[in-house]
Amino acid sequence: MFMARSEYDRGINTFSPEGRLFQVEYSLEAIKLGSTAIGVATSSGVILGVEKRVTSTLIETSSVEKIVEIDRHIGCAMSGLQADARSMVEHARVECQSHAFNFNEKLRVESCTQAICDLALRFGESADGEERIMSRPFGVALLIAGVDEDGPQLYHAEPSGTFYRYDAKAIGSGSEGAQAELQNEYHKSLTIEDAETLVLKTLKQVMEEKLDSKNVQLASVTKERGFRIYTDEEMAEVVARLPAN
Amino acid sequence: MPGFDFSNYNRNAALHARGVPLPKATSTGTTIVGCIFDGGVVIAADTRATSGPIVADKNCEKLHYIAPQIWCAGAGTAADTEFTTSLISSQLELHSLSTDRKPRVVTCMTMLKQHLFRYQGHIGAYLVVAGVDPTGTHLFTVHAHGSTDKLPYVTMGSGSLAAMSVFETQWKGSLTEQDAVNLCSEAIQAGIFNDLGSGSNVDVAIITKDKTTLKRNHIKPNERSKKLKSYAFERGTTAVLKEKIITKKELGRFVDIEEVEPEGEKMDVDT
Amino acid sequence: MSALFSQNPLMNGPNYSFSDTPVSHPNEAHGELREHRFNPYTDNGGSTLAIAGADFAIVAGDTRLTSGYSIHTRYSPKVFKIGGTTADQKDATIVLSVVGFAADGTALRERLDAACKMYRYRHGKPMSVNAAAKRLSTMLYQKRFFPYYVYAILAGLDEEGKGAVYSYDPVGSYEREMCRAGGAAASLIMPFLDNQVNFKNQHIPGSGEGHAIQEREKKPLLREQVEILVKDAFDGAVERHIEVGDGLQMMVITSQGVEEHYLPLKKD
Repeated sequence: MFMARSEYDRGINTFSPEGRLFQVEYSLEAIKLGSTAIGVATSSGVILGVEKRVTSTLIETSSVEKIVEIDRHIGCAMSGLQADARSMVEHARVECQSHAFNFNEKLRVESCTQAICDLALRFGESADGEERIMSRPFGVALLIAGVDEDGPQLYHAEPSGTFYRYDAKAIGSGSEGAQAELQNEYHKSLTIEDAETLVLKTLKQVMEEKLDSKNVQLASVTKERGFRIYTDEEMAEVVARLPAN
Repeated sequence: MPGFDFSNYNRNAALHARGVPLPKATSTGTTIVGCIFDGGVVIAADTRATSGPIVADKNCEKLHYIAPQIWCAGAGTAADTEFTTSLISSQLELHSLSTDRKPRVVTCMTMLKQHLFRYQGHIGAYLVVAGVDPTGTHLFTVHAHGSTDKLPYVTMGSGSLAAMSVFETQWKGSLTEQDAVNLCSEAIQAGIFNDLGSGSNVDVAIITKDKTTLKRNHIKPNERSKKLKSYAFERGTTAVLKEKIITKKELGRFVDIEEVEPEGEKMDVDT
Repeated sequence: MSALFSQNPLMNGPNYSFSDTPVSHPNEAHGELREHRFNPYTDNGGSTLAIAGADFAIVAGDTRLTSGYSIHTRYSPKVFKIGGTTADQKDATIVLSVVGFAADGTALRERLDAACKMYRYRHGKPMSVNAAAKRLSTMLYQKRFFPYYVYAILAGLDEEGKGAVYSYDPVGSYEREMCRAGGAAASLIMPFLDNQVNFKNQHIPGSGEGHAIQEREKKPLLREQVEILVKDAFDGAVERHIEVGDGLQMMVITSQGVEEHYLPLKKD
């Protein structure tokens, strides 16, 4: 990555002689600057967790929105340039509504993820007939959690337009450490409560600030209740459950 | 003739101007044909009567009596063909009586065209007139506006093109009676199967110097298939909301009652 | 030749009434000239019918294609399998019938089939009847001001394996039903179906006096019974409607797939 600067990192859609798209690779770097976000999928639902990075005591923490609803059965957590995530989420929401309008059923989580990734490469000069909508790649990665007829699922979508399904995934600045922790702790028989604790425990390890119920946010997607962001009371309850180190 | 009653004319014109559609008359689609043979003439017709796309009568008669040796096949508005032919039939009978001669086909044709021309096409009768009289065998067509043709073979109605295609491929001069009957039947069947306005059976009339033979339902190529189940309902299936019985005896106080055996064509009823 | 004028208001359009009657051509009444316009629609006649059973659905249609008093062809199917993975649709599970303007019917069928294919590619699963039904509705409504001139009926098995029939008007209003007749002879067949499928106007003899009489209990028909009703319905329609005839195409949808049958009808 840290090679000598060349002219290949200017043209947005220009391959370098080594076959790389620098702008896309740089966008992946942008995510590594973002706050940590974690997702854990269990057999009964998916838990999403983010750190809020409260940089000032004057910030109203409830205004930091890093977990959002896409449809009643899909939600996502983000890391990177939050403003970019807005247009991706907007696109995903429209896609979900359009599917419900046209087919009288919920959009599948994988299809929703695919729809978001289709948007990811619509930058640079446009092909014939296709509308160009962005001048640069997205600077944000998403953890997309949802429940459909195939059960609870967690996807990770990158600015490169690729996506993978995960049992547990961490993104953002603390992702390396967090992913290693998840690798150790994850097992198939986790309950929702286990997953809540695992997410917070892992966040706690990689966060610079001391974790409390105000600087982290949890959300869940379950078959029964759909997507839900945890209330302050629920957050306090989960945080209280964490083992004191 | 006594003439038509025009008393509703202005009212109906006003209604029509306000967008009320005209009532729909029965039968515009038909196939009728005629063909001369050595010794006489054959006319034939299908038996379907329609009201729009609905079949009003599956076995109606389109061959009309004019005189013993003059018959007419009618296409167009059912009522017009019915009334026009019977009107001319009456007039021709009177004419025959007063002249003490057998009626001639040309006379019949002339009376028809004059009657139809007078009504400028508003009487929608399209006719094939055929017969044998002392001057010979004759075959004509008469259109609703009053024009006529004299030809060895003719077709009319919505199935006229289908029927004419048969004549144009198979007709030859000097046919036997049987040939003419077969050819006319074929022509009608072409109409029955290829024209939606025509259907059901083939009626044929053969007129020779000596006699007229009417072959009602000469060919029946469209018999209804048997229903696969009975649709008879068990007695009591229909809810009876009100009941009132008037006995024959009670009715006898107002009218004379006489027992009559049912007669004539049996009605087509499903059981 | 007794029936001079039909007394059926449906057949003849509005009967006599006064100032509220719509004027068919506003300018014509004032003697003004009217521009002659190309009419893009034709009525190609024909009739369709669908009945849902407990674990099957049957869709049928005659195969005659007409315009005016002419028969264009005696075999033009109106019932199609939709959403299979092969060109011959042998693994299809949804059936669409279209009647009205044949060209629009073909276009609509192709569009819905393409939508089913795209759905399979995008979502990795076949479309359910419920989803296809909604998709067809939106497709029709998208052309609200230049409609597909068709009466569509969609049938298949729902998620529980029960027979499902969805019927449409030309602009996409739809409804799931037990049975529906469409097209030229719909007004002839539908009352028969109401009586024989939903047992309308049938009561249990001796179960009560006057209004107290009990209605005949409704229960789904067996496949054999439905096939008989379909054949008799079409034989009846052929007798009395000039645009119906030539052949009867019937599709039976079960958990085993879609069976297709063809029976001859009267050709006059």
